[in-house]
Amino acid sequence: MTVEGVWDLTIATPVGRIKPVVELIRNGGEFTGVAHGAGEEVPLQNVVVDGDRVTWKQAVTKPLRLNLTFAVTVEGDALTGMSRAGRLPASKVTGRRRVTGTD
Amino acid sequence: MITGSSYDGRRHMHVQIVLFDGFDPLDVVAPYEVLYAGGTASDGAVTVELVSAEGPRDVVSGTGGLMLRATGTLDPARSGLVLVPGASGRVGEPGEVPDTDAESASAWQQDEFIPVLLGRTLTTELPGLLKAAMDNPRITMAAVCGGSLVLAMAGLIEGRNATTHHLGLDMLEATGVHAVHARVVDDGDLVTGAGVTSGLDLGLYLLEREIGPRVAHAVEELFAHERRGTTWRAHGQAPAAL
Repeated sequence: MTVEGVWDLTIATPVGRIKPVVELIRNGGEFTGVAHGAGEEVPLQNVVVDGDRVTWKQAVTKPLRLNLTFAVTVEGDALTGMSRAGRLPASKVTGRRRVTGTD
Repeated sequence: MITGSSYDGRRHMHVQIVLFDGFDPLDVVAPYEVLYAGGTASDGAVTVELVSAEGPRDVVSGTGGLMLRATGTLDPARSGLVLVPGASGRVGEPGEVPDTDAESASAWQQDEFIPVLLGRTLTTELPGLLKAAMDNPRITMAAVCGGSLVLAMAGLIEGRNATTHHLGLDMLEATGVHAVHARVVDDGDLVTGAGVTSGLDLGLYLLEREIGPRVAHAVEELFAHERRGTTWRAHGQAPAAL
């Protein structure tokens, strides 16, 4: 299952849910990514894909500044896993892939 | 040094303490009284007012509906000190996350989760005004307790040294701030205090730094409070690993 595409994420944080949009891109054997939102694009760091498992680091700026580390599993057009803000306890993250051509 | 000179050449510091819905009263009143008394002890070298992002209004705290009145609007062009308190409400369980959207400006109610109260400031005019204040070289920003998190979540103190209530230090670090475990942290134009009562020590430290140690001591004596805890300052050699 490819992990490429545009993903609408829902992340639980201590101030409430936030909903970043993340794009995972394959360049040959390497993966990169960008987070879209609030008129800015923030590159993802340390994107690692292992089968249907993906991990990355993301510096969220809106609606609040938060450094998050993700570990998720892709199944079809859905994604589930955990995100962690520093030493805070990990919290649940879910995602839905946008169908190509309709976004 | 943020104190300006008045007409007779004496130093003067104006303090704006910022109220927002759900603020912690002691975070406000402790530094307010210390700084106000510092003004009396210095023959008017310090003036203090309560302000809000929205202007004059009654602002309900997070403790039992206790209310304080903001008499002005936070003015980021006015030199001096701006102090941000934390919120009071429910501490919650470790790892607790609310089942609401971060950006929902839902009506405020008593006993809300503290991070939610702090996060709700992001939906108001406050972050914009605080950014303008931080960009003003004539303003020193101060925060007590969760007030550091208000600044941190707005992305205004990334890479800076700061402290907050001990239960919020991990959250502070997660915003990209260098969280320091000390009662008062002096990072130049950003001076922060730890949990609730540290507002007394923060106020006294600011009096000492800006007006002088004798005025600070006079207030300390009047209030029957000997300063305690460590004041961390961004000076000298950085410690090696121990």
